[in-house]
Amino acid sequence: MSNGTRGETVFRGISWSAFACSANTACVDVKDGKILRIRPLHYDDVTTVDQRRPWRIEARGKVFEPGEKTMLPPLSLSYKKRIYSPNRILRPMKRVDWDPEGERNPQNRGASKFEHISWDEATDIIASEIKRIHDQYGPYAILCQADGHGETKVVHAPHGAQALLLDLVGGYTLQSRQPDSWEGWYWGGKHIWGNEPVGMQVNQRNLYKDIAEHGDAVLYWGCDLETTPWGWGGEQPSRMAYFLEDLGLRSFFISPDLNYTGAAHKGKWIPVLPNTDAALQLAIAYVWLTEGTYYKDYIESHTIGFDWFERYVLGGEDGVPKTPKWAEGKCGVPSYTIKAFARYWAKHAVSIAHADGGGMIRSPFSAEPARLEVVLLAMQGIGRPGVGQLHLIEFGQFGFAEWNPMPRSEKYFEVPGAYHGWMELLDGHPSFIPKTMIPQALTLQEGEKLHWHGHGVCTAPRSDQFIPFEWPLDDAPYIHMIMSDSPSWTTCWNCGNAMQDALRNERIETIVMQHPWFENDAVFADLILPVNTMFEEKDIAVDNWTGQFNMMYIQDDCIEPIGESKSDWECAIEVAKKLEKFGGIYADLVERYTQNMDVDAWIKAGFESANVDPSLMTYEEFAEKKMCLAPTAVGWEDDPVALSAWYEDFSAQPMQTPTGKIEIYSTGLAEFFPDDKTRPVVPHWVEESDDLKERLSCERAKDYPFLMVTNHPRWRVHSEHDDITWLREIHTCKVAGPDGYMYEPVWLNPQDAGKLGIQDGDIVSIYNERGSVLGGAIVTERIMAGSVYQDHGARVDAIVRGKGGLDRGGANNLICPLATASENTVSEATNGFLVNVKKVDVEALAAQYPEEFSREYQPEDGLRVSAWIVDEDQ
Amino acid sequence: MKVFVYDLEKCNGCHNCQIVCKDEHVDNEWLPYAMPQPDTGQFWSKVEEEVCGRVPHVRVNYLPVQCNHCDDAPCMKGNPAVKKRDDGLVIIDPVESKGERGIVDACPYGHIYWNEELEIPQKCTGCAHLLDDGWEVPRCVDACCTGALRFGEEADFADELKDAVVLGEEFGTAPRVYYLNKPERFVAATVVDVYADEVVEGATAMLQRAADEEVVSTGETDEFGDIWFEDVRPDVYRLWLKKDGYLDQAVDVDLTQKDCSIPELQFFKQPVKA
Repeated sequence: MSNGTRGETVFRGISWSAFACSANTACVDVKDGKILRIRPLHYDDVTTVDQRRPWRIEARGKVFEPGEKTMLPPLSLSYKKRIYSPNRILRPMKRVDWDPEGERNPQNRGASKFEHISWDEATDIIASEIKRIHDQYGPYAILCQADGHGETKVVHAPHGAQALLLDLVGGYTLQSRQPDSWEGWYWGGKHIWGNEPVGMQVNQRNLYKDIAEHGDAVLYWGCDLETTPWGWGGEQPSRMAYFLEDLGLRSFFISPDLNYTGAAHKGKWIPVLPNTDAALQLAIAYVWLTEGTYYKDYIESHTIGFDWFERYVLGGEDGVPKTPKWAEGKCGVPSYTIKAFARYWAKHAVSIAHADGGGMIRSPFSAEPARLEVVLLAMQGIGRPGVGQLHLIEFGQFGFAEWNPMPRSEKYFEVPGAYHGWMELLDGHPSFIPKTMIPQALTLQEGEKLHWHGHGVCTAPRSDQFIPFEWPLDDAPYIHMIMSDSPSWTTCWNCGNAMQDALRNERIETIVMQHPWFENDAVFADLILPVNTMFEEKDIAVDNWTGQFNMMYIQDDCIEPIGESKSDWECAIEVAKKLEKFGGIYADLVERYTQNMDVDAWIKAGFESANVDPSLMTYEEFAEKKMCLAPTAVGWEDDPVALSAWYEDFSAQPMQTPTGKIEIYSTGLAEFFPDDKTRPVVPHWVEESDDLKERLSCERAKDYPFLMVTNHPRWRVHSEHDDITWLREIHTCKVAGPDGYMYEPVWLNPQDAGKLGIQDGDIVSIYNERGSVLGGAIVTERIMAGSVYQDHGARVDAIVRGKGGLDRGGANNLICPLATASENTVSEATNGFLVNVKKVDVEALAAQYPEEFSREYQPEDGLRVSAWIVDEDQ
Repeated sequence: MKVFVYDLEKCNGCHNCQIVCKDEHVDNEWLPYAMPQPDTGQFWSKVEEEVCGRVPHVRVNYLPVQCNHCDDAPCMKGNPAVKKRDDGLVIIDPVESKGERGIVDACPYGHIYWNEELEIPQKCTGCAHLLDDGWEVPRCVDACCTGALRFGEEADFADELKDAVVLGEEFGTAPRVYYLNKPERFVAATVVDVYADEVVEGATAMLQRAADEEVVSTGETDEFGDIWFEDVRPDVYRLWLKKDGYLDQAVDVDLTQKDCSIPELQFFKQPVKA
């Protein structure tokens, strides 16, 4: 390879966890200040085979190996278009009718346009607003949203660089983000079997090898390994699934949609109506109970409370036996298939695979199907050879090696010493608001408080969920100012329309956001700082998330910052420069914030915090080679399989529950929330609650007779990537409307489409009382009748803002329930909610909303920031 | 001579091949091999998809397509701007071909695109600019994670190519792009005894061609009552079900236009005489 076609190569992790853990390690070729290409890293280019010690999994006469290169997804390979997107924010912007010295016009947020201002003016305004809010209300009047979906960076962290600054001047109120992709595990799983901090089987050690050797089947239960892992670790799970098929294991796809896993792999699809998995699970238990086909001794020795469950399933509690016929009426799976499935399962070694997301785990009452899955796994002796709960994403997350089903690496890299973001920790922020309750918090009436339990952050232990909290703290102010990075609340959380209303509340005097692109919540800002993409910054990165080889590397900047953009960290420094002029608590703020360290010094600090054994690499070698790859651990084959010791004797490897057993009767819930019907002590089918009426049996279903599937998107990471031209050309990414607009696809079964008079390619509205979002119909057998599918996270294009509003972009989080998934949790319920669908006439809508429908728009890349900037010549 | 080999059983539909082709060729000029590809609208590598069957027997077939680098390429005939290289790749000279719209029309596969702005025909170059500079494989091959797409010397693939097919064989252009495991049609059914509310396992299923009554395939329903006949030639068939104690059942299935799914195929027990 010569430099002629290659250019200079830079290592770069192109992923979107947005915390300090990167993935998708790529080689970026750069020439003449321009990015030529993004391609996989070949391990041979940075190490020798001897150095890597590649693992080999041998099973049934076949061999699986890590592969010779990183398995980049299309989201990484197409990223050049994101970097050079015409929707980049290139200069600081201020809303034209927001005057910090006069009228602020909060009601116009999301509608009025912006003007460019200088960095000097922008940071002057931000600093003086912070000072004013501090003086007038106190520091807790500033809400920091430091957890939006964004790029993964470390020194330049997009998650809370501004929050870290405010920590130095009295603190702030924290928006506390709950585990939006694994809610049910966190709020349910932990109460039945601990498994801190996730609530899924966190000990995955050698589980993949065990399943390859001893398993008969894998249930991909709401699991889309061909989609969700892409943004966090690429396509290795795809290879893993193919290998298991090669070995003869059967695959089952259990979801309302034939998702991309079911599309790519061969197996049996069991379509189940959205968020009715609990009914299916109960009926499977019914078959096993009545036919005596479960591990009775194991249940006796390894669990508590099974008798409560048995009584409920057989109808002793409510007079309703949870028969397959009963379940068929709820979940749409024929009772004969449920029986056949239960019998097959009881005769085979069956594992269940997840890759975050999946409908049931993000739906109303998500703690129920999570716990019921654990009950089923227990009834079939989880821990015996070939039976586990397999996790196919974010291998090694939280930095512990067990949380990886693939052969152990010698080193799991973490670089907290370089990180400038928020770490989802519990301490230090007495004033915090669960992210799911932000709309209520922003609009509280004078004298009112919010009450809930638990910090909700993904690192918190089970016991944290029992701690009562309230906001605001005594004598503390309400929120008067918001500072956000990677702002994507409305596109990714519960009832974005309520948030759009809250952001226009007049109590909110100032909203400052920083982001590379003008998208989603950014439209609701008063002042916006332009952030650069990771390709414009030098940084350090780690990649532990593929199960191939763990790496830590220096990411040189590939190109000069585009426009006047700066990194999130640099944005905070610019604000600090202005704040320190006020003296007092603000004195020496730049020095206190940067600790007089430049980017290289932070990278070095990051390396040091990784505690790398010098025999692997010293800092001097790292600075020169820029890449540190950890070999496979010697002796990994001898690590005991995940739960094998537990299986043999529960006390040898107890669960993190009060009794050390699987608590089908959850003692913690019994102690703290004995009367909670929305998360009962023993897992149940919950039909509805006062807050959530999202079942086909509910009165509302007369008006909204479909259940919504809102998967993690195939062609985005949450709300990112929606402007990438090359992705938007793909058939399942967008549907071209008659008006030239590229609508977000809506999958409808032909039966439903026929009843609704909708044809392939029609533009439709998905709606309920909370509002409506548009989409382009794809009439397909990939979705079962009774369900409507639209990926979540399409870019907001608000035609009518707020509750009852209309969104052209198809951002269906706008119309999710606002209520939390169960009473005593702060989890979101953003899947499996009721909607109706109708065909719309976009020309009529355009006539009704001429201004909104004529915003500058290019079908290739979508909405552009230029549409929102006033003509500067005037 | 080089070949591209797609194993469709391993294609997961991720579109990496389609995307990296754009990453390599959009906004990058690789003269004398290629001028830049327009940002959208051209697909020198393209993944097509087809959804087959009915709930719950549904399959998605991905089919990546590209220039076939035919040995007997119609685009070369009478067009000196199109040249066959020693390694088998067919290249359209981006300078010589200016204004030659006929080259686009010559391709029976529709894999040559017209660049309105530059007034040139464009297509897959096999990333010859990279191969000639020492790279081992084209970008699309490098980006494929599952090994579904490979590139190399024809002789090295000889064993596998025996079972491979090419697209548009009837065009007679001798393509150099091969496909393994390209699916034909399927018939799938779930066999149910609705009165017992049970699936029927172990029923013998036979697929009989209507034209000559030949039984082309036989199988047994599995634990789920499912029978899948794969890779069936498009034709009209009769699906027979037989099992002791059940009445023989026959259903006509027409696979000439599409695959066939019977979500619930009812199967009846023989009446018990009093």
